[in-house]
Amino acid sequence: MTTATTYAPAAAGRRARRARRARRGRQWWIYALLLVGLVLAVAPFVWMVLGSVKPDAEVRQVPPTWWPENPTLDNYRELFQRLNFPRFFANSVIVATAVTLGNVVFCTMIGYALAKLSFPGRRTLFALVLAMLMIPTVATFVPLFVLVSNFGLANTFGGLILPFLAQPLGVFIMRQFIVGLPDELIDAARVDGAGELRILARVVAPLCGPPIATLAVITFFAQWNNFLWPLVVAQSEDKYTLPVALALYSIGQNNARFGLLMAGAVVIVIPILIIFAFLQRYVVQGIAVTGLKD
Amino acid sequence: MRRRLTVAALLVAALVFTGCGRDGNEDTGGQAAQGISSGPATGTITVWAMGTEGEKLSVLAKDFEAANPGVKVNVTAVPWDSAHDKISTAIAAKTTPDVSMIGTTWMGEFAKTGALDQTPTDFDKSAFFPGAWDTTVVDGTSYGVPWYVETRLIYYRTDLAAKAGVQPPTNQQQLKEFATALQQKGGAQWGINLQPGDTGSWQTFLPFVWQLGGDVTDASGNWTLDSPQMTQALEYYKSFFTAKLAPGALQPGELESMFVAGKIGAFVSGPWHIGILKEQGGAGFEQKFDVAHMPKEQAGTSFVGGSDLAVFKESKNRDSAWKFVQYLTRPEVQVKWYQTVSDLPSVQSAWSDPALSGDKFLSKFGDQLKDAKSPPAIPTWEQVAAVIDDEVEKATIGNTPPAEAVKAMQKQATSIGTGS
Amino acid sequence: MPVVERPAGAQAPAGRAHRSRGTRASAVRPGARGGRRQVSARTQRAVAAWLLATPFFALFLVFYAAPMLASFVMGFTDLRSTDLRHPLAVNLVGIDNYRRLASDETFRKAVVNTVLFVPVTLALTMVLALAVAVALHKGVERFRTLFRVGYYLPYVTAIVAVSVVWRVMYQHDSGVINRVLGFIGIDGPNWLESTTWSLPAIVIMTAWRGMGYQMVLFLAGLQAIPEGLYEAAEVDGASRWQRFRHVTLPMLRPTVLLGAVLGTIGLVQWFEEPFVMTRGGPLNSTLSVSMFTYNQFGFGNYSYAAAASYTIFAAMVALTAVQFRLLRSNT
Repeated sequence: MTTATTYAPAAAGRRARRARRARRGRQWWIYALLLVGLVLAVAPFVWMVLGSVKPDAEVRQVPPTWWPENPTLDNYRELFQRLNFPRFFANSVIVATAVTLGNVVFCTMIGYALAKLSFPGRRTLFALVLAMLMIPTVATFVPLFVLVSNFGLANTFGGLILPFLAQPLGVFIMRQFIVGLPDELIDAARVDGAGELRILARVVAPLCGPPIATLAVITFFAQWNNFLWPLVVAQSEDKYTLPVALALYSIGQNNARFGLLMAGAVVIVIPILIIFAFLQRYVVQGIAVTGLKD
Repeated sequence: MRRRLTVAALLVAALVFTGCGRDGNEDTGGQAAQGISSGPATGTITVWAMGTEGEKLSVLAKDFEAANPGVKVNVTAVPWDSAHDKISTAIAAKTTPDVSMIGTTWMGEFAKTGALDQTPTDFDKSAFFPGAWDTTVVDGTSYGVPWYVETRLIYYRTDLAAKAGVQPPTNQQQLKEFATALQQKGGAQWGINLQPGDTGSWQTFLPFVWQLGGDVTDASGNWTLDSPQMTQALEYYKSFFTAKLAPGALQPGELESMFVAGKIGAFVSGPWHIGILKEQGGAGFEQKFDVAHMPKEQAGTSFVGGSDLAVFKESKNRDSAWKFVQYLTRPEVQVKWYQTVSDLPSVQSAWSDPALSGDKFLSKFGDQLKDAKSPPAIPTWEQVAAVIDDEVEKATIGNTPPAEAVKAMQKQATSIGTGS
Repeated sequence: MPVVERPAGAQAPAGRAHRSRGTRASAVRPGARGGRRQVSARTQRAVAAWLLATPFFALFLVFYAAPMLASFVMGFTDLRSTDLRHPLAVNLVGIDNYRRLASDETFRKAVVNTVLFVPVTLALTMVLALAVAVALHKGVERFRTLFRVGYYLPYVTAIVAVSVVWRVMYQHDSGVINRVLGFIGIDGPNWLESTTWSLPAIVIMTAWRGMGYQMVLFLAGLQAIPEGLYEAAEVDGASRWQRFRHVTLPMLRPTVLLGAVLGTIGLVQWFEEPFVMTRGGPLNSTLSVSMFTYNQFGFGNYSYAAAASYTIFAAMVALTAVQFRLLRSNT
């Protein structure tokens, strides 16, 4: 943190020291407040993790216990034994990765076109993409499934992946970022005789690390947790993704197995957390320049 | 550009609309049910089953395959969460399996789509509990057979009842006295827990109507939600809350915890609570509670639910599919199924097996099943049930007088209709 | 014929590392060839643009536009789930569904709830998120990653776990919230069972849950503000609060707009929290339009539900347009 040092060194030193002391004093209660907030934010997550090692009866208990009285790994054991975990995990990974990769590629392409190329219909296309962000999915999934199965894509990876390869949010993010890139760079490449595709691949894309990271995290997260669509598309269990499989064993007709549910929730959230922790630096940087400019 | 898009949209719309309009072509009813051929099953049978049933059905499927060499049964387990949506979309896209397990309250809707095959005449309806069989009957025709059932009884703390010196109630007035005694003399904070509204409260409430001889519809299928029996039952139901015998809405998990702690003297629920209470109460808790038959007025009716099995019309292996269903409803197979997943048999003769008749709790469930009803199997039932839940809530924990609440139920139900 | 003359070495804004693509000052091209090239360059670019846009656009048409059009049309029919095998054999009923929605008491309640809920929750979420972001950005120096991940956690925690903890907190007698209120002498209400207080209760919980997402946005926005502006303000004698008001907030405008638009879209489709905590009760006081639509789909009233969804859609489009108007940045 830089402090203005335009005055005499001694006075600056004194001022800096005073400022530091004041800052430390201020920092003390900021830390305290943040910590209180953090506890509140983290509490449900901690409860979830602790709940996954409690027997079912204890998880249901009201008032809820905090620390497990009879910690047990039974929930996890049951989950992994009953669940063909490798298969469902693999399905989730395949679908989420494919959708993420596809989105990264397609959204960058159209994002670049919308940001840097002027062509007839550009405004309409952008407005259309923006409007897509607001379509309630609950309205469209029945017609979508009829469509998908008429294409013969029911119970295939294609049916799981294709409908999500065009995410409007992705276009939004890429376009906003690319708009912020200097035109001169692109014009230089153009004058050097490069075609648009080349420019995109060689000039623009390498600069798009942060928004791509952001897009990747958001898309992966959404696909990883997607429940209703994989349930509807799959006609046999070997195409189930992880959320579908977990719901299978933990929710009954009249009651639910809470211990299993918690264990399942923990299993599902871990890859997300890993990815987030790893990429969060890029994510923060990526959104930095997607403030809405015209 | 914009004008071109509008024209294109209109053209598409026009094309779509020319194909529209109901032509009265219903493919439900009017056809005779076909029989099942003799001989073993063949080919491949795809089956959808939810939750634990889906997981464990392969056990029975293997037995079936052994008895019918050459046949292959493919079971796909489907989560209960959103299973209804999965079946609807499959019907829309014509990707239905051969056989599916269907919740009893969904039958009306799915049968009306025309997607289900009529139950073959080979099935003997008297073999099943009458209330369960009724869940398969839509517009006078049966589509599918009951697979397993559940019904509701009054769970109560035997130690608190002994302390209060009371026996389980035999009529509605006695039920109230029973709850009062559990509270005042037995030491419970709340005499009995009844669901005051919210999803599914109709399953606890409607039995009181049935016990008084009333019902939600009359013989012609019109709604009778404002009948005198409905009003009387709702007043009775509400009185538990006004007298502070029942606690009102509870959080998930509170019921079991409070019952085990002796704070709640009794509650109404199905067979799944036996396992939960044994687990939560720990060793020996089994001695402290029991289940009692519903109070009897004109009848001692309870609610019957569970799941049915249905075969889809689009099935390419209809005959063998029904053979599999037949297999699953054999008494000895129903007993084996109970032993595998603890689902109660829908076939009456299966109950004479000692595994069921010998169990102190289950035998009472079996007894109650002989007098249990289900709501009408109509497509709009879920929506009307939600209305009933809402108005019950308004009457019990809100301030609406029961007479008004039932009138509101009747009004809304009439405008929703029966979907026929 | 205007011609582009490139100085050697394209300049990039300070602070960003760019891979320069090789800098050759290009000479002026001969006139005639330049002329035709200019026109065809534009067409070339347009063609390239459409080519680049095509994969996305094709996927959009097939998997978004077509089902959307179908469900939009559905809203003008009387399609029910029992018609699913013959979806075209239904009656066109014009705007009947919309008319019914307007007179549907439950739908009106849901609309009122949603209209109350969205702006309040959005404001609360953003204020909280901004406070935390500012604190993390300037206020503290250590454990930043820990705080960032920690505050993001509610966003990814299973709703079931979140609901258990918050239910405990909202307990009438023993809950944390009422106990704290008790210290100040306020008798806290029975939050989740009260028809007046259940909505505020869910507002607070949803704001807390969504805060992480907005916090990330604000952190990014704050990082983009050049230090020089703060220094200049400090030199001019501005206090910390004045610096915040006159430097930070205006520079954050684009971020606020982004957060508001994304937040609104998420909140108008608000479903999970009321569904798990109160199921829309008590007495529909926490029923959202999304939940209403979900219920109608569950009942099989597909066309009615479709009409309800498009009402949400229209509302969101309107809201977004308003936000763009209000928050459009002039920088």
